Amino acid sequence: MTHNRRTENSAEHLEVSALLPWYVNETLAEADRLRVETHAGNCMACREDLAAQQRICEAIEAQPALNYMPVASLKRLQARLDTLAAPAATPPQEQPANRMPWRGWMAASIAAVAVAVALFAADRWVLEQRLQPSYRTVTSSVPRPQGEVIRAVFSPTITLVELQTILDEAQLRIVSGPTEAGVYSLASNSTLTVHASLALLRQHSTVRFAEGTVPEPESGNSR
Amino acid sequence: MTLPAKNSPKERDSALLAAIAAGDRRAIEELYLSYHRRLARFLSRFTPRYENVEEIINDTFMVVWQSAKDFRNASQVSTWIIGIAYRTALKSFRRQKNHTGARSLEDYPEQTVDPTFEAEVHDWLKHGLSRLPIEQRLTLELAYHMGHSLEEIAAITDCPVGTVKARMFHAREKLRQFLPALSGGPSDLSARIG
Repeated sequence: MTHNRRTENSAEHLEVSALLPWYVNETLAEADRLRVETHAGNCMACREDLAAQQRICEAIEAQPALNYMPVASLKRLQARLDTLAAPAATPPQEQPANRMPWRGWMAASIAAVAVAVALFAADRWVLEQRLQPSYRTVTSSVPRPQGEVIRAVFSPTITLVELQTILDEAQLRIVSGPTEAGVYSLASNSTLTVHASLALLRQHSTVRFAEGTVPEPESGNSR
Repeated sequence: MTLPAKNSPKERDSALLAAIAAGDRRAIEELYLSYHRRLARFLSRFTPRYENVEEIINDTFMVVWQSAKDFRNASQVSTWIIGIAYRTALKSFRRQKNHTGARSLEDYPEQTVDPTFEAEVHDWLKHGLSRLPIEQRLTLELAYHMGHSLEEIAAITDCPVGTVKARMFHAREKLRQFLPALSGGPSDLSARIG
């Protein structure tokens, strides 16, 4: 009898012990929470374990976490998505039996010519790309996205909401970027002058650099 | 795609996923932005390089984009997404040959560190966590850093509840050996019960 009681207690101890981490993070269902509290009230080992788990949980929560600006990462995801078709694309239909074989030969010939033309064009494109510099500086004049009037660099810690607030205030919108160097190309959303938009941008400490890309005599110095 | 503000996060996620399944690029962008911070903070606990964090997050959302039409509401959208991130991260961490979490605790001699300073406890914990096998550490972090329930972790890791409990048990045992300072006096919780 005593042996059975001990075995029962031992099984209960193991089961409750396994639940302790979720008692600590407060996600246990009500019945399990009460079960832990009832058992731990009479079990020194569980109380000590609970104390240890709470310290580990608190220490993990207290460790500093970095905040990242997701916009640049999203741009790279968008570039990858551009290479894919829409997810809901329908599967290819089964083709009926080919009743005119010469059509197949003609299609194959056309496809071969198309591939040759595409390869030639790709070769020319690669050649042209090699002649272009593979980088772009903050002040480089080409290529300039359509409508761009300002180039700006923001603090890497800026949040999306802060960025949007600053752009709304300066009545600007992003037309391109960020580049690898974190440069955004901005276009005007209103009749506000570039000079005025620049002044609004530069009053924010999170704006590291802001410069007009179209000549304007009144333009001030960059930040 | 912009949804009414009155929608709950769960409803909003479900609506966005349905839109993604229909090929809505704006919807995946919105979902991405709403999960990026949470995933980045979680993943950066395992790798100090943001390139790795970004790669895992973007790989995760490529899967979300391609598999949204297969989602059958068997779990919450958030659990599904974090489950994809978990598997992507696991593959990525296993690829990193120098990942210290792949080593066992036995590879390290007993530490003698004065446990009286809180900063040292933090360093000690970081050190101890980095020495856990990756599945055990992910389980512990999903509970303590992300605040997931036992059942949610089972769904995220695609494992039975018993496996999650076993991983957590082994993680706790190893940390107990490694972090004796954390088994010190009573905590607020245990004092409340005792």
